[in-house]
This record gives sequence, C-alpha cells and structure tokens, in this order.
Amino acid sequence: MAAALGGMVMNAACVSSSIRSDTDRVRELSRMEHLADVPESEVDPVSSPEVGAMLSKPLTAKSAVKLALLNNRELRAKLRMMGVSRGRLKQAGLLPNPEAEIELLPEQDSDIELRLEYDITGALLAPMRSRAFEPALDAARYETAIAVVELGYMVRVQFYRVQAQEARLAIAQQMLDAYAAGREAAIALRKAGNVRELDLAQHEVAYEKARILVAELELGRMNAREALHRLLGLYGPETAWSVQGYLDPVPAGTVSVPEHIETQALKHSLELTQRRHELESLARRAGVKDTAGWLPDVAVDVHALKSDAESTPVRESWRFGAGVRFSVPIFDRSQGEVLELESKFSAQLERYYGLAVDVRSMARQARAELESAHARAAQYLRVIVPAQRRVTDQVMLQYNAMQVGVFDVLRASRERLQVELDSVDAQLAYWKAHAALRALLAGVAVAQPSEEVATSVSFSDERVEEH
Amino acid sequence: MDRRRFIKAGSMLAAGAVLTKSTLARAQDEAGGPEPLGDRDAAEGVPSRAPRITNEQPHVLTPNGATLPLRTVGNVRVGHLIASSFEHEFAPGLKAQCWGYNHRTPGPTLEAVEGERLRIYVTNRLSEPTTVHWHGVILPNGMDGVAGLTQRAIPPGETFMYEFTARYPGTFMYHPHFDEMTQIALGMTGMIVVHPRRARGPRVQRDFVLMTHEWRLDVGARRPDPLEMTDFNVLTFNSRTFPGTEPLLMGRGERVRIRFGNLSPMSHHPIHLHGMSFATTATDGGYIPRSAQVPNTTVLVPVGSTRVIEFVPEQSGDWAMHCHMTHHVMTQMGHGIPNMIGTQTSDLDTRMRRIEPRYMTMAQDGMGSMGEMKMPIPKNSLPMRGGPGPFGNIDMGGMFTILKVRDSPMKGTGLWYSHPQGTVAGPADASQMRADGIETT
Ligand SMILES: [Cu+2]
Repeated sequence: MAAALGGMVMNAACVSSSIRSDTDRVRELSRMEHLADVPESEVDPVSSPEVGAMLSKPLTAKSAVKLALLNNRELRAKLRMMGVSRGRLKQAGLLPNPEAEIELLPEQDSDIELRLEYDITGALLAPMRSRAFEPALDAARYETAIAVVELGYMVRVQFYRVQAQEARLAIAQQMLDAYAAGREAAIALRKAGNVRELDLAQHEVAYEKARILVAELELGRMNAREALHRLLGLYGPETAWSVQGYLDPVPAGTVSVPEHIETQALKHSLELTQRRHELESLARRAGVKDTAGWLPDVAVDVHALKSDAESTPVRESWRFGAGVRFSVPIFDRSQGEVLELESKFSAQLERYYGLAVDVRSMARQARAELESAHARAAQYLRVIVPAQRRVTDQVMLQYNAMQVGVFDVLRASRERLQVELDSVDAQLAYWKAHAALRALLAGVAVAQPSEEVATSVSFSDERVEEH
Repeated sequence: MDRRRFIKAGSMLAAGAVLTKSTLARAQDEAGGPEPLGDRDAAEGVPSRAPRITNEQPHVLTPNGATLPLRTVGNVRVGHLIASSFEHEFAPGLKAQCWGYNHRTPGPTLEAVEGERLRIYVTNRLSEPTTVHWHGVILPNGMDGVAGLTQRAIPPGETFMYEFTARYPGTFMYHPHFDEMTQIALGMTGMIVVHPRRARGPRVQRDFVLMTHEWRLDVGARRPDPLEMTDFNVLTFNSRTFPGTEPLLMGRGERVRIRFGNLSPMSHHPIHLHGMSFATTATDGGYIPRSAQVPNTTVLVPVGSTRVIEFVPEQSGDWAMHCHMTHHVMTQMGHGIPNMIGTQTSDLDTRMRRIEPRYMTMAQDGMGSMGEMKMPIPKNSLPMRGGPGPFGNIDMGGMFTILKVRDSPMKGTGLWYSHPQGTVAGPADASQMRADGIETT
C-alpha cells in the first residue's frame, strides 16, 4: 500500500512540471524554433521588447512569422490552455482523501465517536486514471503545435497579400497616370481647338473612374496590413512598419514538390498524431471505466468510541473498531459509461480514417495548386509580361513613325500595366500555394482561401479613343 | 551605249554633290535602272543625240526601269515575260515582296514600231494563274488576255504565247486580267510604246515612260496589302517613291515627251510639272489633233489610262514634277493620329514620361520637319517624307521626281543645278524693305 501511494505521489510530481516543458514539446513538434515561452504567471499587455527591434527593419515573411510566434495573443492563449490538460492529468492522478467523521452521541452510552474511512478502490484506480489522461496532454500539445503551424501559414499568406497589395497599388498609380495623361492630351487638343468637347468629356470620365480603382486598392492595402496586425498582435506605433520589396519572382525551372507527397503528408501529419493521442486517451478512459466497473467499490474504515465515564464500569474509556464497506458489482458495472466511451472511440476512429483520406487528398491538391500556380506565374513573368513589353516597344516605334498617336501609346501602356497587375495575382497565388505546401509538410493540411481583389480597370473606354 | 553616255550627264564631281550615294544613287543602282548617278561624268553634259529606234525617233527611257529585249526571228519580234514574285525596293530603307515581270515592277517596257509582228511568251511563275492583257492595243480577240472570256488562264508553271501585230502607234499598257485586284496591287503592270513608222508632229529628243501606282504597305511590313481599297500609303512613279525616283535628264531647248500610265487600284493622279507648259498630245486611244491640244501645267492621268505630254524646257534647273494630290507626295505617313497642331504639351510630356520615358510629343508645330527626325522607327519603313536637296531636306515623298534641265554641254555644275548669282530666293534685306515701303515690326 505504501509503495502504491509512493508511486502515485511520484506520478503527481512528474505531472506538475512547468508550462515550459509543454512549450518545448510544441516547439519540437511544430519545428518553430522561434516559438517564445509565455511567462509562467503574469500576463503582460505590452509586447515584448524584441518586437520593436524587429519592426524597425523592413518586414519579411520570415520575420513576420517570428513576430507572430512572439506576439500572437491567441497562440499565447493556446500555450496557456495546455495547462488545462495538464491540470486534468494532475487531478486524475491524485489519491482520494480519507474521510473522517466525528459524532457526539449523548443519548447512547458513549460520548463521542470518531470514524476514518478510506476509498481503497479509488486509490488503486488513481494511477490508471492518470495514465488515461497522459495521451490527452499529448493531444493538447499536438493541438497547440497545429495552431503554431497554422499561424505560420496564415501569417505568410497575409504577408504575401500585403506585398501583393503594395505592388498592385504601385501599378494602379501608374495606371492612373496613364489616364491622367489621356486627360492632359485631351485638354491640350481641346485648347488648340482640335477635338470636340465630347472627346475631352470622355477622357475626363475615364480618368475619374481610374481614381476609384486607386482608392479601392489603397483601402485593400490598408485592410491587408490590418489583417496582418491582428495576426502579429501589433497596435499603436508598432503598426508603422514597411515591407521588404514586392513578391519575389517565382523560382526558375520546374517547381520542386517532394516525391510521394501523400506519404510525406501522412507521415508528418500533426493532426493525425493528435487524433491518435485522443483515441488512446479515450481507450484508456474506457479501460478505466471497465476495470472500475468490475471492481467492487471497497472502502475500509476504522472507528474509535469514547464511553460515558459515569455509565461505564470499565476504566478504559476508548474503544476501537474497524470495518469494510463494499459494493457488489452485480448490476451496475458501468456498462453504460463504458458503452458511451467505446462509442465515442469508434466514432473518433472513423473520423481518424476520414482525416487520413482528407490529408492524402489535400496533399495532392497542394501539389496541383503549387504546380499550376508556378506554371501560371512563370508564364506571366517570363512570357506574357515580356511579350506585352514588346507590344509597347513596337507601339513606340509606330508612334515615332507617326502611324499611331498618343492615345494608342496610352492604351498600350494600360494594357501593359493590366498584364502586370494580373502577373501580381499569379505570383501571389504561387506564394500562397508555396506556404500551403510548407504547412502540409510541417504537418497541417490547410484549406487554401481564395482571393477576392478587384484589380481590373477594363471598363469600356473604346469609345474614348475613337474620334 | 549612247544612252550610257547620255546618262553620264551626272557628275565626276559628284563627290561634292548633296545627293549622296547612300540615298539617290544607291536607290537607283539597286532598282536595276541605269547607271548610278554617282558614276556619271559631268563634263560630258547632256548628249546632243539620244539612242534612236527609227531614224527620227529616240528609244523610250523608263527611269528606274528597263526595256524588254526583243529578238528578230524571221519577220517577227520575239520577247519573253516571266511573271514571278521577288523583292522590290521602293526607296532605300523600304523593300517589299512584290509581283511583276522579269523580276521588276513595272515590268520592262515593251517597245515596238508600228506594223511590227510581236510574239510574246508569258511564263507564269506565280502561285496562281495569270494572263496578260494588252491594254489599249487593237488585236485579235483571242489575244486580249481576259481569263475566262478570251482564253484559259495561264496555270502556274506554264508558258503561253501571245502573237499580234502592233497595228497602231501609241502609248499602251499591259497587266494581268486574272485576279487583277491582287496581281496589279502587288505590282504587275507595264508600259507599251508603239512608235509610228514615221514620226508625227515635231520631232522629240527625249521620250520617257512613267507608270503611276499606289500601294498599301504597313510600316514595318514586308508585303503590300492587295485588299486595301482606300488608304494607300506608298505612291510611286515606276514603282519607286521619292527619294528613290530617278531624275529625268533633259537638255534645255530640246523637245521632251513623257508618257504617263496609271494602273493604280483606285486613284487618278494630277501630275504637275514645274517650270514647263506642255500639251497633251495623245492618250491610249490615239493622237489628239493639234487643234485640240490645250496648254497645261498639270495633266490628270485617270486610272486605266495613258496620257502623253510634250514640252520644250526653256529654263535650266532642277524642276519638280509630282502628283498634286498632297497625300500622294508622302510615303507611309500615318493618318490615324490625332491632329496635334497648335497643342501646348509640356504638361502632357512630363506626365507621359512617367509612364513611357521614350515618349515625346510630335507634330504640334506642323509636320514639315518630320523627315529630319532621328528617332527609332520600325525596320523596313519610310514614314517620313523627303530626301536631301541642295538647300536642305526636300520635304516631299511618294510621287515626286526631278526634271534636270541642263544646257548642253553642262559646265561642270555637279549633280544639282548651280544657280547663277542672285537668282535664288533668300532672306530679305531690311533696308531694301524699308526703301520698298514694307514695314516690319
Ligand atoms: Cu496622285
């Protein structure tokens, strides 16, 4: 009995180790070395001093992820929530307390009765319960690791969106310049008496419409930054950061996707492992219930009785006794609770296999998305944009030869800028797919969100050019 | 050989000439015309006698062109026309894949004497059938060359024989009568000159033929577009556009004949001569009686017609001759651009350079200086008018050429006419203006 108790105490001590060890494990699982420890006790509303230093330099995708790991409050909350599972584990391993009872019985021939009772079955089951909650703690750690990887993915995607919005806005500014130049040309022609009021009016409309696009993109850029601020946990003066250039060009050559991507995804899947731990925990809890159901509920008690001195002939006033109380598990062997847990287990197991199917599918999808996005982005970068530039070059030669006029030059410029806008969208699609594959190989199959950004200014301005 | 000497009227002193070898001279060299101007011997001047076809009449000259060689077999004059595709130069810097006869457009001039029996073999090396119609010549119906109507078209690779007698003297033309729209537009034209057995009217010393034509050749393209119906941008004399046109050399006091033909798809050409008054003496229908000849300085040459003019140059000099339709004296200048004249464009230029640094507003002051602009333009194009002249850029293109009237013998004047002192317009003298009562502010 003493040995058993000793083991239980050891167990409890082991459970009580700090949140630091959980964070270490999450760091290991998510392979995010920059994941910061949250302080044991206090919650500080101010960002860590490291944040300011990182924001003073232009942000990169890498430094943005680092910032998020340091500063994202939801992630910090999740790290702290691992304490909940740890607490449950701890609680499950605790020995039941002895129960004491003191009775004063003046109407009988004793003055006082002391009774001490101990739930033997509970004490015997404690290590088993504790073992049942161990996988739950592991599952919590995996869950947190998943959150870390997901956050990394979301931060990357949002960072790329910010870069894309910067690029779109810069291109749109040029587009606006092109419309402004069209208006300038119309004004100059109108002042010289060479075109009609109608022609000028049409160019003015075209210009004013183009301003809307720029205004929309300005808002889009701000929204993209704000979404990133939320992920990075930034506010106040911390929001005045700049980004490093525009989106990197997609790598040359064919895109490299690891071989056997499905196997890789299954092997690295944090989600599947987490589910396995959950299943394990359920199984063990069902086992505990089952065992507990078969065990008689045994409690032993010792009691002491002190007699009334006047009524008792004997000098010895304290008398001692012992007893045992047990239930006979004939009817209730917790069959219902066992069934409940077993059903939960089976249901979870179905989901586990379902998840494996999903992971395989998402691995294939991630590869397809990446390869397609790469091909499209490369097509823009290395074929369409240069081809469109060649069009502009030829239009300039034709302009010099007076075969086409200023409005044709502007139209060619706008077509070139529109292709550059489309190219930005294609580059963004690639980097998003890239981030998704990265998350997949880090163990999380993410659902890739689609973009909804209006960057086309292809409102009909054909009429404007003809006069 | 005589003609060769005649043409040496250019200059040994051409080194000092303003027309450089890279422009006019090379242009004519490559056109397969007579000798390049740069090789000419100025000291010789204009010869007193041109080569003669009959005792009284000189051979015709086709500037930038050639005369079809004819061989005498028995009592028949035999020639051979080969229709094919080839690269033709309109002027230096502007070439295109054209169709024509014996690798030239217009084809070689067919020159005969009234009453001669002609046997012309026509070989078709085109990608489609063709025929030759002898425009204006009175001949047996089966020799008229109208595909489907008077003969089967000549299939590619085959040779047909035409034989007829040149019964009437005159100025005629030849061209296909199968898919005319395409074949004529691509250059298949030629002149026919039938000299009278005995000269009619005053004898001439110089006899030139010029075929007028119009083409659509997009700037930077390499083949004329036969589908064009209205907007022609290359206008030519003998399929050459200024400064690729060879000047017409003549002596002062000589009687000169110019025979114009017009096989343009759509346009008539009012050809105007500077420094001359002439009479129209014949059409493709025959001679105009002297009593009906009206003096003129411009002759309208309608599509599908010939006009023959004669004149005696009275003043030496370099005299312009050109179509008077102003858009016909330009080459490939664009017409699809906004009218920029009079615009103030400094704001526009500033903004445009932010979008397109190579941009510069043009033509806001007028378009006269376009020929001298040195901006990159598409390869194989001649969008700017003009060529170099003795007083600067000659601001003309297209159907423009020069009549070079010289005293005989020339006195070492070089290629360009050397004006006697005080006979060239120049800046006015202020004191003389005041003396003449012209106030300037
Ligand atoms: Cu004309």
